[in-house]
Amino acid sequence: MILNKFTSWIAFGILLFASFSCKKETLEQVVAELPVEEENADGNFPYKWLSTYSFFEGELNKLRQNSELLEYFPASSLFTDYAFKSRFVSIPKDSIAEIIDGEINFPEGTIFIKNFYYPEDFRKPEDKKRIIETRLLILGSTGWEAYPYIWNEAQTDAQLKVVGGQTKVKFTNLNGKEQVIDYLIPNKNQCKSCHNKNEQLAPIGAQIKHLNWERNEGETSKNQLLVWQEKGKLNGFESPLSHPSLNNYEDKNQSLNLRARAYLDINCAHCHNAEGPASTSGLFLDYEETDPLKLGLNKTPVAAGKGAGKFTYDILPGKPDESILLHRMKSTEVGVAMPEIGRTTVHEEGIKLIREWILSLK
Amino acid sequence: MRKITFYPALLVFILLLIGCSESNHEQLFDSSKLPRKSIEEVESIIEAFIMAEDSSVIEIPEGFYELNTQLILDNKSNVTIKGAGMMKTVLSFRGLKTGGEGVKIVGNNIKIEDLSIEDAPGDGIKAQHTDGIVFRKINVTWTNGDKSKNGTYAIYPVQCKNVVIDDCVASHSKDAGIYVGQSENIIVKNSLAFGNVAGIEIENSDNAEVFNNVARNNSGGILVFNLPGLPKSDGKGTKIYNNQILENNHKNFATPIGEGPNGNTVTMIPPGSGIVLLAAKDVEVFGNKILRNKTAGIAIASYQITGFPTDAPNWSPYTSNIYVHDNEYDRSKGFPDLTRELGQLVSLYNAHGKAKTQDIIYDGFWDQNLSKTIENNPMKICIEEANMSELFFTLFDLTGGKEEIKSNKNYQPFTNCTVSIATDTSKIQSL
Repeated sequence: MILNKFTSWIAFGILLFASFSCKKETLEQVVAELPVEEENADGNFPYKWLSTYSFFEGELNKLRQNSELLEYFPASSLFTDYAFKSRFVSIPKDSIAEIIDGEINFPEGTIFIKNFYYPEDFRKPEDKKRIIETRLLILGSTGWEAYPYIWNEAQTDAQLKVVGGQTKVKFTNLNGKEQVIDYLIPNKNQCKSCHNKNEQLAPIGAQIKHLNWERNEGETSKNQLLVWQEKGKLNGFESPLSHPSLNNYEDKNQSLNLRARAYLDINCAHCHNAEGPASTSGLFLDYEETDPLKLGLNKTPVAAGKGAGKFTYDILPGKPDESILLHRMKSTEVGVAMPEIGRTTVHEEGIKLIREWILSLK
Repeated sequence: MRKITFYPALLVFILLLIGCSESNHEQLFDSSKLPRKSIEEVESIIEAFIMAEDSSVIEIPEGFYELNTQLILDNKSNVTIKGAGMMKTVLSFRGLKTGGEGVKIVGNNIKIEDLSIEDAPGDGIKAQHTDGIVFRKINVTWTNGDKSKNGTYAIYPVQCKNVVIDDCVASHSKDAGIYVGQSENIIVKNSLAFGNVAGIEIENSDNAEVFNNVARNNSGGILVFNLPGLPKSDGKGTKIYNNQILENNHKNFATPIGEGPNGNTVTMIPPGSGIVLLAAKDVEVFGNKILRNKTAGIAIASYQITGFPTDAPNWSPYTSNIYVHDNEYDRSKGFPDLTRELGQLVSLYNAHGKAKTQDIIYDGFWDQNLSKTIENNPMKICIEEANMSELFFTLFDLTGGKEEIKSNKNYQPFTNCTVSIATDTSKIQSL
């Protein structure tokens, strides 16, 4: 009995120690130094500091875009541990993006800017927030490059950190409960685990099918690509109906099938398509796929390892809880969880949607 | 043909007899004795991978590196990654919180040498879309006491061209130690695979030579598979020669204890399998020592045996054009496996008596479009062993389903023939 008490105290001590040392490490990895000297915006990317790009006016953390930036919203959004995202694109002055063969070709010097942040209280998303990281995709002469910038604790600037990092994030969720997430900032080369088309780095959200939709802005609603075109930043967009479009998986007015396929496209298809890193699996989850076997119906896995759990098929129609796809969405264990990066928590709403969809399949 | 019925009492008896299956936890060396590297030293290695340019040499000095992010080499050419030695430079991915593999390589003419990779939650090292990839003197393993926590593949080139795996060690992976998938022009030589579910596996690949390796204490020693529905649909041309395939009697831990196989084919491999050919095309197996594998030395099987759907474009479920000759066999190790259906099939229904280890088995599926009977060897399975009459050979007949399993020991239809298998690895011999 005494021995038991003794050992539990030791265990408690180790635990305490462990939690301390974790905290220390987290701080060390995330707190960026304050800028010591002004960095010169000489056009040689990447800059060390986010502020040097002058994307935003006034206090940096208000993220008030300068007049050159276009804000954009994909119809459906990739789940990244419930992080909020604000997205902008900077197309150089006197340059224009063009639609060629169904794809948007951006001019050299284009920069995509994606800010990842958490409101303190998800019920009041406009109130106080903490910005964790800003990821840039820059189109240079040899193609796209990805650069992760980590925000300092004072929220005054963000510093380029190619090795990535990790930090604990606390927020009050929509149900009023406090939630803590071990947020992982990918290293520079991990970006390409998702942003990958035939081993070339490529934007994901900035495809016609994700942007071709009408968004309410105050009183009016307008197609984003039409807005780009009107602003002289895009050529070749004929009309919304002459280009593909993907719906918002959260839009309950859409059919279950379209919602599920939109969810799978934005969350999985960046790897799981014929030109992506997960082409090895033969499981293709893009919106355009029509072959049931390639979509995973009654398809056995290839290299899933322990990701397969107790199950035989990627999707067993009508049986979500015997489908590997849902099993991997429900897991947070590295090696099992899908997507492989960008997620350390489960996406309850996504699981609910995909469960209903598999249940409806015959 | 002899018809065999099922004896439950015998099954129970055998189960009691071999109740405990083998497990192996051996490590080449104790990496915990190496000096721990500082956070800065670890970050400098991560940066070296990220900032690498064409023709870079990334040197990783002696020490134990605790990584909590992946090491990714992205689309570079002529890069060498070099440790101070397999037992001196250790990259540990025990703390990895995200990412499918510890080390990931994409590019052209890449070499990785002289280091160890430990405890990656997914795969140890993966190379994809790489033309010219050499793994030399690397050791990839897991150190967990509980092997169910181990990762999937240790050394994993996939969708690559011109692959050389030389002088490597792969152990304790939950799937295959050395796994070459959907690739072409491949050499696996002078390497050791032990304690894995599958030792060495060539899958949906063309033009491969596997020689001078030791595959021991795995559940299955060397596997050649073709799986359906993949971008690289059907592989052909593999030579397996001069290997030692010893005592591959490890329990199959690809699924947790108490759970049967899942949709991963490797979960069905019965412990005690030397060489397994599954839906394999154009394979020559010669000059190997295939010793003391308790279930079957060589298993020639078609995909039908898995019970999974067999319809897929540009792919055939049958194993065909196989030439097995001049191998050495020894069936002196215990009784065949009973934990997997294929083990039970061998144990209970082979043609030489219950619980007898087999040297060569053939599941007896054939393409009935080619022939009405298997007697004229439509799939071209050719076996030329010197002492054929002393070997235990079983041809199964599973056409009647589970209710009516038949078998016989007549090897005549499969002898006195040769198949010429062409592989050419001359261009990668010197890599």
